[in-house]
Order: sequence, then C-alpha cells, then structure tokens
Amino acid sequence: MDKFWVVAKREYLERVRSRWFVVMTLFVPVFITAIFLIPAWVTARSAASVSSRNIVILDATGTGLGKRVSDVLMRDSTPVRRGAQPPAPQVREVSASSLAAAEDSATHEVMRPNSIVGYLVLDDSTLSTRRIRYAGRNASSIVDTDKLKSAVRQAFTGVMLQREGVKPETIALISNLSLSMSQTRIDERGRGGSGQAAIFLGVGIGILLLMSIIFHGQNVLRGVLEEKSTRVAEVVISSIKPEMLLAGKVAGAGAVGLTQQVLWIAISAYLMTNLAPLVLKSAGVPVSGGGASALGFSFGGLTIGLFVVVVLYFLFGFVFYASLLAAAGSMVNSEQDAQQAAMPVMYLLIGSWLFVNSVIVNPTGTIAKVLSWLPFSSPIIMPMRMGLSPVGWPSVVGSLAVCALGCVFAVWLAARIYRVGMLMYGKKPSLAGVGNGVRYA
Amino acid sequence: MHNDLAIDIRGVTKRYEEHVAVRDLSLQVPRGTVYGLLGPNGAGKTTTIRMLLDIIAPDAGSIAIFGRPHHEAEILNRVGYLPEERGLYRKMQVRRVLRFLAELKGLKAAEADARINDWLKRFGLTTAERDWGNAKIDELSRGMQQKVQFIATLVHEPDLVILDEPFSGLDPINAQALKDAVLDLKKRGKTVVFSTHVMENAERMCDAVCIIARGEKVLDGQVTDVRSSSGRRNVALALVPNGTSSAGRASDNGVGHVLRDTRLVNRFDDNNRYFEIELAAGADAQELLHRLIDAGASIERFELVLPSLHQIFIERVGAQGVEAGMSGHG
Repeated sequence: MDKFWVVAKREYLERVRSRWFVVMTLFVPVFITAIFLIPAWVTARSAASVSSRNIVILDATGTGLGKRVSDVLMRDSTPVRRGAQPPAPQVREVSASSLAAAEDSATHEVMRPNSIVGYLVLDDSTLSTRRIRYAGRNASSIVDTDKLKSAVRQAFTGVMLQREGVKPETIALISNLSLSMSQTRIDERGRGGSGQAAIFLGVGIGILLLMSIIFHGQNVLRGVLEEKSTRVAEVVISSIKPEMLLAGKVAGAGAVGLTQQVLWIAISAYLMTNLAPLVLKSAGVPVSGGGASALGFSFGGLTIGLFVVVVLYFLFGFVFYASLLAAAGSMVNSEQDAQQAAMPVMYLLIGSWLFVNSVIVNPTGTIAKVLSWLPFSSPIIMPMRMGLSPVGWPSVVGSLAVCALGCVFAVWLAARIYRVGMLMYGKKPSLAGVGNGVRYA
Repeated sequence: MHNDLAIDIRGVTKRYEEHVAVRDLSLQVPRGTVYGLLGPNGAGKTTTIRMLLDIIAPDAGSIAIFGRPHHEAEILNRVGYLPEERGLYRKMQVRRVLRFLAELKGLKAAEADARINDWLKRFGLTTAERDWGNAKIDELSRGMQQKVQFIATLVHEPDLVILDEPFSGLDPINAQALKDAVLDLKKRGKTVVFSTHVMENAERMCDAVCIIARGEKVLDGQVTDVRSSSGRRNVALALVPNGTSSAGRASDNGVGHVLRDTRLVNRFDDNNRYFEIELAAGADAQELLHRLIDAGASIERFELVLPSLHQIFIERVGAQGVEAGMSGHG
C-alpha cells in the first residue's frame, strides 16, 4: 500500500507542477466568469446610458405634460458614471403654430457636436391619439426609446389622474411606485422554482464530469504510454505490482482532476463575488450583495447530498474510464495508435453523452432510468437527473453500487491487459492479442 | 539449507502463444557471487530475469530469492534491476526520478535524498559548476542518463543486483565504471547476476555462469569448471609479426598446413592476434610445437589453455541455437 501512495504522489505532484495544469486551472475560471460577466456588463453599459435625458422636449399640448415627462425621466434611478454631470431634459413649451420652427431649430442643435442627442414632440395628437414623436441620434436604441415611452406613459397617467381630480400627492405616490419582481418558471411538468437553475446545474455537472474524465483520463493514457515508450515501466514494475501501479496512477490523476475542479469552483466563485461587482460598478450598475447573485447566479440547487453524490460519481466514473484508458495506453506504442485504442472506451463515454438531450427533456423516462443504472453512463446521467428532478435515494445508492461493481470489473480487466501490454513492444494491438493477454496474465 | 543461495530457480517454464520462451529451467546462484546468464539473443534470458523479478509469472516451477518466495515485497525491495531497454521519465528532475524509484523500493524519502546526493557526487553529476540533480532527464547527455539509471539500480543498496545486458550501449568509460561497481558489490558481499551475449565480459567477471539457448539450460557451473569440464585442451598460439607474416596470413603458409593437419588439430579459430587451437583427441601439444617450428614459424606465444567460454558456447549452442530463438522474446 505504501508503494501505491508513492506512485499516486508522483503522478499528482508531477502533473500539478506542470505548466499546463497552472494554465488550465487559471484559464477556465476566467473564461467562465467572462461568460457570465460580459453579457451582464454589456447590458449594464447600455442600461447606464443617460442619453435619454439629454434631450429637448417640445411640448405643444399646453397641459404641462412636457414638464411631467421631464420629471419622470429625472427620477430614473439609473446611476451616472462617476464624474459625469447628469443632464436634464430641456422642456420648451411651444404653440402649435411655432412647433415646426422649433423642430427645425432642435434638429440643428442635435446635429451640433456635444449637444443634445434628440428631441421629443408632444402635441395635440398625443392627447387625442396617444402618438408621440422622437427624433435623435439614439433613435434606434431600444433601451432609450423604451425609457421615453415609459416616461411619457407615466406622465400621461398623471395628467389624466389630475383631470379626474386625484390629489397631486396621490399622483406622486402612484408615479413613484417601484416594484421588485421575483421570477418563477413553470413549465409543462408543473415544476416551479429553480427550473432554469436545475437544468443549468444538471447539465453543468454533466459537462464538468465529462470534461474531467476526458481530459484527465487522456492524461492517464498518455502517462502510461510515456512509461512504456521510455521503458521506465520495466524498472517500476520490478518494484510494484502492475495492478498497484495502475491504481496509483489512476488515483493520482483523479486527485489532480478533483483538485482542479475545486480550484475552478473556488476561483470562479472568488472572481464572481469580488471581481464582478468591481466590473459592474465601473459600468455604473449599483451592486448590493455578492456579485454572483448580482448576475442572477446561485448555487442554491446544489445541496450537500447532491454534492457528495456528484463527487462519488466523479470518482467512480473517473476510475472506470481512466483504468480502461490506461489499459488502452498500455497496449500501444505511439500516440496515433493510442487514439485508436482509446476509441472503444471513448465511444462508451460520448455515447452516453448523446442521450443527454432526451434525459433533459424527460428525466423520469425509460432512457434516463436505464442510463442511470449502467456503470459506464451513470456517472454522467445520474447527477444530471438528480439536478433535474428528484430521484429516490434507494435508486441513487443502488446505481452507485452498480457503478462501483463496474469499477471493480474495469480495474480488474484493465490490470490484466496492463500487465501484459506494458511489456509488449512492436506489436499493434488486436482483439485476439488482448484476449490472449487477459488469459495469460 | 538453501539459505546460502541468492537465487533458486526450479523447473520454471514460460509459454507464449506460439513458442516456449523458457523450458524447465533450474539454476542456483550462491550468495556473494557474480553470475553470468549467457545465451544468444532470444534464448530466454530476459524472460528468465523478468520471471525472477515477478514481472511475469511462470507457467510452472518455483523461484526463491534468499530462501523466500520471490514475489514477496520485502524480497523485491532487496533486488536492484537494470533492464536491457533503459529509460527514465524524460520531463522529471533527476533527483525526483531517483527519489521515486528509491521510494518504490521501500526507502524513506529523507534517506533516499541523502544517498542520492552521495551517488550523484560519486558519478560526477554534481560538480562545483553544475548540479545535474536538478536538471530534467531530457537535458542530460546519454552517458549521464546511463549513470542516473545505474544509480537508480543501486540507490537502495540491494543485496541482489540483476543487470540485463548491462554493457550494451555503454561507452568505454561508463562500461569501466560499471565493471568496477560490480566488483565493488561483490567485495561487499552482494550477489550480482548479469545476462550477456558477450562471452569475454562473462569470462573476465563471472564466478559462475549458466548458458541457455532455445529456452533451455545448456550447462552451468563455476567458470573454471565449465571451461575444464569439456575435457579438451586448447593451445593459444601467437606468431611474431615479421613484416608480411601476421597471424591472419599465417594460415596461408606452412603454419597453415600444420594447423589443417586433422591428426593434430581438431579445429582452430583465428582471433586475429592469436589462434585458439583445439587439439585433436590423443594429439600431443609438444608435437604440434615441433611441427610449427619446423614449418618456420616465429612463435611469440604457445600456451596450453582451457577452452574459452566463447568456444564452448559456439560448440554447445551452435549456429542453430542462435537462429531458432531469434524471433522470440529475449
């Protein structure tokens, strides 16, 4: 058992020391944060636009509607970037006959640089047919025009309420009414709550497991191939049983995978909670609480139970695939042959992934149920299913048990292939050869 | 009873799909000896060594090391192995590789580090200018890599050292260092087993040998016994080179005529600097000497010798044995 640790330790330290590990460990969280942050930042930038205030309001209604619109726009809670003066709309009350001339002059103002960005026209037709006109440089900005429309609607409501004799204080109260809304998704299965989050969590876990198994499993394969092609294997095997060597390598590489995932999650969480608010603040978005929640992201669906199960499935899945990949690596002599030998193993993995869509659509269906019991697909499908819909604990424990048995078989088979393969040079792998190897080992 | 034996192999057989690599092989290596495992390529030497080290399992027979079953971890920790095909982790630092291999032999890291430093100094891999111990294996010259490999074999102070074709690929300086190290090991009471197909190495260094061919033992024993057991007498003959007549050309003149006399000489082997002559049954060495002088030979050396291992090997194994095993494992 001591030697198992020696092998695992070497495997772990050599991989963690490698430049690639550092690069990947830093790159992925930055990438993930960027995926969340950039859209939020872009949205924040456009939301923070104050150009909707930097306008002239031509009010030909004679009802003081322009002033009200201006008031509503000024109440807009959108903060302004530090240092910038918040512009106020200029209200020009004009008569219907001089409106055309006023529009002309406003047009010229807009065309001058560093001036107003546009003008809003309120006239009789506004009162009668609810039509308003806007012309300006930002006329195609949906955010700005929506703001204007909403401001006019509010102001108009105020005017109508005043006409109905409502007290000005009441009108002010109604105008200032701000709502906060929590959105809850209900779909055809009637599930409320974290609908989107559940899919995100389930698929996220699946992708994480798949990526880790592929990436670190391939690392095991390459490591085995290196030991074989440099012939260091023979010295090592003269000191330790091949089964133990295989187990140590898989354990070491698996520990690297776990380390990397923990670092990924930790760094991502750090970036999201610390970096994200800074970025969003600089974009002019007020941030209260953690940055992650500011981005509408939460780990709420991830319970301790699910976390433990995910870790167990990762370990089992990793052991299953990494040992088979190690066996594949032991049978060949070159990288090209290695890809070929790894194919059958990768088919099992990718094949399981192909059914992900049908599992997401129907996590309680037959396909999902069968795949969450088969040892080669359960590590990916079962955590995803659990993220999508509740799965009874007996099923989870049973599936884990089957998966563990699958692991035992995979390790046993891999060890036998490995024992023979490691000392077989110059021959291309064939099924017959492997079969003989397993029998003669 | 057999505790004075470092290795006790009994009736070991290893079959592969298409051929038998080792057939019913038995051999005993006493403690503290330098033992040669001789045979042509493909004779089963490497297979035997691998079975000895529990790298592959024999189909039949038993193997004991120091009187214990060879697969016990404590036993394997006392064995050092230098395989024929050598290599180390290319991207790893020399010290880390050596520590890893030492730890695999049950050494504690701290103790391993101390010994590794000693060995690196001894082999000139840490000097005032450069500490190669911190370099990656990749950065080392071939000669240096061979030294590191050799340190890896010996760092855990094994009681039994097994070297598979240790001299192949070694430059003369490293070959000498290896030879010195082997004799040093013997002086310290260690047992050394090495395989080779170069008989001169075996003859110079080994106390005892085993010749195998086609997976079977041809003969074994103390080197002197093996050489005298053939019951033949050989003569080493060297002629004074006098301008035109070197040993090589001697066979063309009168001397050659004498050597081809089958009443006197069974066969002779031109070694360039001297002839190794096998006397015919009942022939008298003195008569051969007289005939040679009569034939006008200027004799530099005329010595009654035991047949060399090389001769015995050729005689007992023959060309056929070399051919038969060529396709199989070593």
